[in-house]
Amino acid sequence: MSILVLLGVFVALFALGIPIAVSIGFATLATMLLTMAFDPAVTTIAQRMAGGLNSFALLAIPLFILSGQLMAHGGIARRLIEFSKALVGMVPGGLAFVNIVSCTLFGAISGSSVAATSAVGGFMIPEMSKEGYDRNFSAAITTTSSTTGLLIPPSNVLIIYAVASGGVSIAALFVAGYLPGILVSLGLATVCAIYAKRHGLPRGERVPIGTVARKTLAALPSLFLIVLVIGGILGGVFTATEAGAIAVLYTFVLSTVIYRETRLSELSAIILKATETTAIVMFLIGTSMAMSWLLAYENVPAIVASSLVALSDNPIMILLLINIVLLVVGIFMDMTPAVLIFTPIFLPVAMQLGISPLQFGIIMVLNLCIGLCTPPVGSLLFVGCAIAKTSISQIVRPMLPLYFAMFAVLMLVTYVPQISEALPRLFGLLD
Amino acid sequence: MKAVLAPVDRCLNWSLVSLMACMVLAVTWQVVSRYLFASASAWTEEVARFLLIWIGMLGGAYAFRTGMHIGLDLLPKKLTGIPARNLRWFTQAVIILFALAVLVIGGGRLVLLTWELRQYSAVLGLPIAVVYSVIPLTGILIILFSFVGSDVSEHGDQD
Repeated sequence: MSILVLLGVFVALFALGIPIAVSIGFATLATMLLTMAFDPAVTTIAQRMAGGLNSFALLAIPLFILSGQLMAHGGIARRLIEFSKALVGMVPGGLAFVNIVSCTLFGAISGSSVAATSAVGGFMIPEMSKEGYDRNFSAAITTTSSTTGLLIPPSNVLIIYAVASGGVSIAALFVAGYLPGILVSLGLATVCAIYAKRHGLPRGERVPIGTVARKTLAALPSLFLIVLVIGGILGGVFTATEAGAIAVLYTFVLSTVIYRETRLSELSAIILKATETTAIVMFLIGTSMAMSWLLAYENVPAIVASSLVALSDNPIMILLLINIVLLVVGIFMDMTPAVLIFTPIFLPVAMQLGISPLQFGIIMVLNLCIGLCTPPVGSLLFVGCAIAKTSISQIVRPMLPLYFAMFAVLMLVTYVPQISEALPRLFGLLD
Repeated sequence: MKAVLAPVDRCLNWSLVSLMACMVLAVTWQVVSRYLFASASAWTEEVARFLLIWIGMLGGAYAFRTGMHIGLDLLPKKLTGIPARNLRWFTQAVIILFALAVLVIGGGRLVLLTWELRQYSAVLGLPIAVVYSVIPLTGILIILFSFVGSDVSEHGDQD
């Protein structure tokens, strides 16, 4: 009964366009007031909101957001693009592949996908249009390949999952994301290869070897971030949160002193933008934590688990069912609340089926990545459309084969645990 | 009415930038101190966590000001005229009600409670009430911004 109230109030407010964070908080309040007095109800929610943010692991998020902002402004994206051009530009449809590789590399040094879409897309989409590529296709490629940044470490969503799952190691999750993220890139590249053949897309110029060396050298300081951040975490030099601070300092020095593309006067605007992005996520985390607490209090995870198991005893079917639910959730909901609310509900079921919390995190994030690229609430899709100056209705058609590629990778990741677990095991992060 | 907000805006922007900068420095200092003095200073972690609460809350109010909180904008974009105005009124009413009940009253009670129980932070001995005082403050700011109306009516796009 109370769950119906929770769901009903949330869906109604959300559909009316109330910000998700408020919809979640308000629905939680309304439901609690059914069984609780006003004073303890509001105090509990306030306490859950602030308590939810009181976490050293979550501190990594603003730091990676800030370093991502610095990267987007500091000429780092451009050097990665030129490096990718030297690498893959010469094949038919070269710029499409350059786009994918740049987004993946950008994802490997930053923790957010929006930064990748705007930084890489801002350069690549106009350039692809100049070469005769369809604008909608270019936007679709940029949007989907930017999601790899959420799987490839550092990844803010994986940090949120680590917190929601109550103790999966961030280092292990980070390493686990590499292969699935690269698989998504390969899947998207396959679609591009077919598209390039069918539409006779132009080849890029073959770059002389001297230029390749020069472009690689220029990109090296940016690529060194991968070694610094991930190497530092894996080598036990610092925690993921501390790695975030190191990434901020490094990108700051890189973009102001070495590349000289960020002026100090721009710094406070960049910090403010990063703070805003952080706060949107943190506010969502706060209210989602309150709702998640209420769901546990109402024993929802156990109810869902027993009804799922009663529905079918075939693990393949149950996993498919969980995937479908998560896909639908991803279409309508932002990633942060989705991870915080659905991890406690589905993770116990998945673990009963023998899925490790590590693999489940990757499954969940990949699911929600697809949701980021779908209307009506695909935040990444909006950014991609805005940069390409196109509309959602026009971008959906070229998106369809790309969705299919992502879905195919999702199925692989769901049913082949080794894809997520091989690397963490290699590094001794999983026994 | 907008003129009243100018000093509030300036103060809020300035506080957010300083809080964020302090947080970066605190976490950096934690790494540096561990390698310089062979033992991590314990206060940096606590300070950074408390700063995150402040940034998350105050920044949340700031995002109401800029209209960047994420939401489904299908309906607000479709409606025009009177229904659109009614929906905007309803949205602001829900936001104000939430801010008043949970943040101002709930958060205020939390501050009083932790003050009366004399809860102090583990390392610095800072009253927890001071840390939590940002909750009602955020509530008041959100209500203020809602009455004046946010700058941008479109919802934002962040991941």
